[in-house]
Amino acid sequence: MTIKPYLYLTLTLPAIMVAGLYSSMLTPVHAAGDDAATPLLPWASNGIREHVAQQNLSGALTPQTLNTLLDAGETLFSARFTSADGVGRPMSTQAIIPTKRKRPARHQFARTAGLDANACSSCHNTPVVGGAGDFSVNVFVSEGFQNTDFDNTDPQFSNERNTNHLFGAGLIELLAREMTRDLQQQRRDALTAARASGSTASITLQSKGVTFGQLHAFADGRVDHSDIDGIDSDLTIRPFSQKGVMTSLRQFTINALNHHHGMLATERYGPRWTGESDFDEDGHHAEITEGDVSALVAWQATLPAPLPMQPDNSQWQQAATYGSTVFDSIGCASCHRPSLPLESLVFSDPGPDDTAGTRRHGEDDHGISYDLALLQWADSLPRNSNGHVLVPLFGDLKRHKIADQEIATLGNELLSQRFVERDVFITAELWGIASTAPYGHRGDLSTLDEVIRAHGGAARPARDAYINLGASEQQQVIAFLATLTLGDHQDTLDDAAGDVITERPDTTR
Amino acid sequence: MATNHSSSVPLSAVLTALVTSSCLITAGTVAAESSTYAGDIPAFTEQAEQAGIKHTYSGPWEYFVGGGVAVFDCNGDRRPDLFFAGGDGNSALYINHSSTGGELAFEHFPGYSTVPQKAVTGAYPLDIDNDGLMDLALLRVGRNRLLRGLGDCKFDHASDELKLLTDSSWTTAFSATFEPALPYPTLVFGNYVDRRAPGSPWGTCADHQLYRPTDNRDSPSIYTDAMALSPGHCTLSMLFTDWNRSGKSSLRITNDRQYHRGGEEQLWHFNEGAQPRLYTRNEGWKKLVIWGMGIASADLNADGYPEYALTSMGDTKLQQLEFDTFDESGWPQYRDVAYEKGATAHRPYQGDDLKPSTGWHAEFDDINNDGLLDLFIAKGNVEQMPDFTSNDPDNLLLGTHTGDYHEAGGESGIALPTRGRGAAVVDLNHDGQLDIIVVNRGDNVSLFRNRGAIYKDRTRISGNWLQIELQQDSINRNAIGATVSVKSGNTTRTRTIQVGGGHASGEAGFIHIGLGVAERAAVRVRWPDGQWSATYRAFANNFMIIKRNHPEATYWYPESAQ
Repeated sequence: MTIKPYLYLTLTLPAIMVAGLYSSMLTPVHAAGDDAATPLLPWASNGIREHVAQQNLSGALTPQTLNTLLDAGETLFSARFTSADGVGRPMSTQAIIPTKRKRPARHQFARTAGLDANACSSCHNTPVVGGAGDFSVNVFVSEGFQNTDFDNTDPQFSNERNTNHLFGAGLIELLAREMTRDLQQQRRDALTAARASGSTASITLQSKGVTFGQLHAFADGRVDHSDIDGIDSDLTIRPFSQKGVMTSLRQFTINALNHHHGMLATERYGPRWTGESDFDEDGHHAEITEGDVSALVAWQATLPAPLPMQPDNSQWQQAATYGSTVFDSIGCASCHRPSLPLESLVFSDPGPDDTAGTRRHGEDDHGISYDLALLQWADSLPRNSNGHVLVPLFGDLKRHKIADQEIATLGNELLSQRFVERDVFITAELWGIASTAPYGHRGDLSTLDEVIRAHGGAARPARDAYINLGASEQQQVIAFLATLTLGDHQDTLDDAAGDVITERPDTTR
Repeated sequence: MATNHSSSVPLSAVLTALVTSSCLITAGTVAAESSTYAGDIPAFTEQAEQAGIKHTYSGPWEYFVGGGVAVFDCNGDRRPDLFFAGGDGNSALYINHSSTGGELAFEHFPGYSTVPQKAVTGAYPLDIDNDGLMDLALLRVGRNRLLRGLGDCKFDHASDELKLLTDSSWTTAFSATFEPALPYPTLVFGNYVDRRAPGSPWGTCADHQLYRPTDNRDSPSIYTDAMALSPGHCTLSMLFTDWNRSGKSSLRITNDRQYHRGGEEQLWHFNEGAQPRLYTRNEGWKKLVIWGMGIASADLNADGYPEYALTSMGDTKLQQLEFDTFDESGWPQYRDVAYEKGATAHRPYQGDDLKPSTGWHAEFDDINNDGLLDLFIAKGNVEQMPDFTSNDPDNLLLGTHTGDYHEAGGESGIALPTRGRGAAVVDLNHDGQLDIIVVNRGDNVSLFRNRGAIYKDRTRISGNWLQIELQQDSINRNAIGATVSVKSGNTTRTRTIQVGGGHASGEAGFIHIGLGVAERAAVRVRWPDGQWSATYRAFANNFMIIKRNHPEATYWYPESAQ
């Protein structure tokens, strides 16, 4: 079950797009312990048969090189990792900071503390690979420092989370980068003004129409962040995870490989930062190369952006049109913003906002970039008068309090995560929502109506307004939301009569 | 005699030299550079002259020791400025104009004092009179001085308030602490040889001067009386330290066996209001006799009980509390773990001279931001002691994940044939990477700019970091004696704000914590009176200011990195 990103292969692209060596990007995995580097036998149990060599990549990728990288990423995303690859982390935990266990885990696999999946696609598969997950593949998020081996789902040990879909993830990250850039520039400007004037400069942080509270800059270079809203005090938008606490696809990918599979990425768990080449002590070194992570990132970043579908049914069309208006008028769109403008579609990997432990800009000579405009689906994205892509995410990349005293359904976690309070979550992007039930960060709400009614906290006025609508208007809102599918991918799924998406050949512009 | 080293050497040349130097490692070197080390090795470029610093510590025999540097912000821009002891020459103040993340730049500022400050062996910054401005304790051959900070890098040493009642002595060590209920710090000036005693210098060590402040706020002087701490054993470094997690400071002193007779290392009780007294054999204090030159203190495993590095001629000691004994008796007995951890640094790590080293300033900090504490040691022959190596490069002992140390001085570019004395490890250009200043006897100071981790023929950014400044109102504004606890995951890193130790050198300002791959941390402060703060949430790669009783910390941004 795969999706090709439909690259336009054009040989007329600028010659500056010097990419790495296509043929040497992939390095075959050899049989374990074989000094002669014998290739794997066809029946070998390895899930990874080729690693991606980052050292053979650099600069702006040509379409051909990107295609190869995407193929590798797609393969890795669906690979069922095995002990021959290094699955398992008998002596390290799921924590994103390399953390040793005091004693080996009793069970290698456990649906609670992990390992909890064989492949990325084990959970990201609804309705297609890269999609969301059913309640049955919820994950139990523990920071992995204490109580790492919890064996029940009691929320005192972990936060239970449903699996998000990844479509449009590259655009999400690009939006976050631009917003981070804007907000940090506003802080710089405020400090410059404060230093120049000798008095405090208070500004409203704002990017792409989304406000993030106030910041107070003092003449001596200090900044008071106590009035910021919905963002961390380093003014970095972290768009990933239900909570909105992960900066990049790259960071999240490394986290997930460790958490769910015990596949440790060298760039964080390798000798540079741990002093060990086999940090989890499972007998495997270099389980995930930097190139492997790059391939996984590329594949996720290039997944098509979901676009609203146009129903064939005229009644549905009409209801959805009205519903869209109601959605705006009752306040849903104040957080679930229909679109945010994006200036550039060039995705650099690594990105600008990661910190040590995730590859950073300039950290080596093998940073890459690729233009998402090369992808066929990018042509479908609307643009504004400035030529900026209007990313139809139905979100604001901001965190909000989503529960209150009376409406506490979405405040069902007991553990805060990475400094974010238990009842605060990033606005869920609604694109693709009609294809990715169930709903809520725990995935325990089966219909759109239920999840709307579960909104409390900052979303309470909009939720109350929805409840106060007449039944027909409520149905119009639902009708509108039901158009937010994975678009063509859903069609393809339907065409394939069940659960398979047929690969489409690459096309040439 | 070493020559000056130009700062204009390109990085590629430095790196080439590093490769060359690493080929010269001799067999048998402890913590050899040839061992496998996969962590980041910082690349240092010496650029004192390029940065505008030309200062030599020199003078006759009395200045074979000393040679300190005080690092502090004297003009309120939070850039670390530098005060250098000058020996029998003038001391010098250099104002830091380094751009954030850029090349180091300093301006000589002779107007800091109305009179030249000569005969200075060392200097420590602290705010003695609680006015929010850094003062300077000057260690001298002769009468010691307290320079009162006036702001804008100007100082007044004629104020009655900070006058010291001392006889002429040869002072080579200093430490300060705020004792409970006293409004100003208690100061100890540690003296070396009593040159006028019969038979000097052998066995004629001078007593130390202890100054406890008056609690009479109407008194025209803060220090109305001096008390002798006797016996002195020719100290070269002293440090108020809470060695037993009691909440009270004791005074640790390292002494030079070259001149004392029957002396030893010392630890003094400092109980509130009571006469200080030495820990005795009955209290478990073991006799240790070394050429004690410098003290570095750090809580390497964050258990609340600090470890101590003691520099000497030959082996450096790395002392760890003997917990079996301590748990039973509370005794201050220590075990030397330097050998097992590869931290003896007892002879040069490069070249073919196998004579013992001479260690001076020592300082723990996370110089490569991997989350592990490293140990820097300034080295150099006393003058022309033939039994000790004459080419004695400074050490950069990088902490490893096994608790051992890896010598990276040669690879990192700090291996110069100078005679180091005092030093400081501090981020001079606010790029999060620690630079190193070394005062050299008879040679220009070394100013090593940290350009990041060596990567191929260039450098790259290293691990995450955090820098924290503490503030209190009223007395002890800089929270001397406070401990900062920084927790990321299961790892806790602690730093204690102290005045003293090293070799004649002290620092004030941001404390630096390397975080490795942690991108955030929970910070708590144990204030000097033992009160714990609430938890502050910190994001990596930022400067934080924590003010007591304020629920939120503020961030601070240097000018071009906001």
